[in-house]
Amino acid sequence: MSGTLSLKPSYYEALKRLTIELVGVKLGEDHAFLVETRLLALARREGFESLSQMIEELFSRGQTRLAIHVVTALLERATSFFEDRKGFETLGDVLLPNLHQLYLGGTIRILSYGCSSGQEVYSAAILVDKLAEILPNMNIEITGVDYPSHALERAKAGRFTHFEVQRGLPIRHLIKYFDRDGEDWVVKDSLRNKIKFFGHNLLTDETDLGTFQIVMFRGHLGQITPPAKARILRSLGGLVSDNGYLMLGCNENPGDTNFWFDPVSIAPGCFKRREKQVEMPEPEPEPEVVVEEAPQQAFIPVEYQGGGTA
Amino acid sequence: MTTATKTCLIVDDSKMIRRVATRILRELKFEPTEAGDGREAIDMCRASMPDAILLDWNMPIMDGLTFLKTLRGSTGGTKPVVVFCTAERDVIKIAEALDAGADEYIMKPFDSDILGSKFTEVGLLSQDRYAQSQL
Repeated sequence: MSGTLSLKPSYYEALKRLTIELVGVKLGEDHAFLVETRLLALARREGFESLSQMIEELFSRGQTRLAIHVVTALLERATSFFEDRKGFETLGDVLLPNLHQLYLGGTIRILSYGCSSGQEVYSAAILVDKLAEILPNMNIEITGVDYPSHALERAKAGRFTHFEVQRGLPIRHLIKYFDRDGEDWVVKDSLRNKIKFFGHNLLTDETDLGTFQIVMFRGHLGQITPPAKARILRSLGGLVSDNGYLMLGCNENPGDTNFWFDPVSIAPGCFKRREKQVEMPEPEPEPEVVVEEAPQQAFIPVEYQGGGTA
Repeated sequence: MTTATKTCLIVDDSKMIRRVATRILRELKFEPTEAGDGREAIDMCRASMPDAILLDWNMPIMDGLTFLKTLRGSTGGTKPVVVFCTAERDVIKIAEALDAGADEYIMKPFDSDILGSKFTEVGLLSQDRYAQSQL
């Protein structure tokens, strides 16, 4: 297969270094054909005459915008609606009912980090819409975030192909939440208007997204290098409110990466901020001779202060 | 513990579609049978009710919607899980099929991913089993 590829091996190596530097993802040796086909499509969209011309432009001028588009085109993965379905069951059956009790009448914020072309974030919005009847007075904000990319633009548009809407999406949801437009299906405004989208790079972007009660980062861990995994999980942890949850894929395991979160036993793939141990003050040695009675000081538990403002 | 193989009746007047669906269903460990129209399908259901039915809409002799209404009104006819598989994409038509008792709906053209996903949706395949078939 490699005989049919036009990309020079040195460029392929340079692209591998670029994806590690920008997003912490290591491209495998067997991805050369995928790299070629995806970048060829991007080169056409960006108006280059050939793939080589785009890559030469990328490495000779070092345009940040082009670099991000190249990397995101490489990493875009095919996702389906309600992917890793058990995670959505956990979200609807355990996490949101728990948070509903805590935030009755308040706002619960959900973040889909790495939302790609939007299937996860629209699935979450559909779930929330269905739950509205049984969890009243629940105001939920949903945000989809990914690197600035064509996939993110597709997510914002809420437009999906005939094939995409048939992967994971029950037919009743399709006819309730989507309108048909020629060969495509487009999310109805009533659902799309509930979601905000942002372009963001967790490793380099300083933009403050605030904190969220649910941060979804599902299906990404496997491709991330170990050093980047620790940085990303710790950065994501900073986006989770004190009583919130970080959701990885049901079968994803952060291994021995310490990001100060512990797994939630009843919710596979879900993690909660590790509670800070309340340190009991050392009892002061009792004075042998009491000259005069000192006022009693009430013990005030030390509350955990980290994690931003919920 | 072994699970009995589920049967699926493919009802479509296109021999090519029946062949493609048969191949996919065998890969998903179903035991497929075939009928070329709704009347033939009714006769086959009366002889032996399948676990699932993959049903085309537009067919000669008896169309899919008439078949479905007849099936759901007959003894034991509520048991099979019925998944429409048709070129009809109009929302009104889809709603009509669901009202008549269809459990899911596939719009042609389809592939093995779509069929597997829809069968998982209606509980004909377990999530784990479908995930394994993807490996």
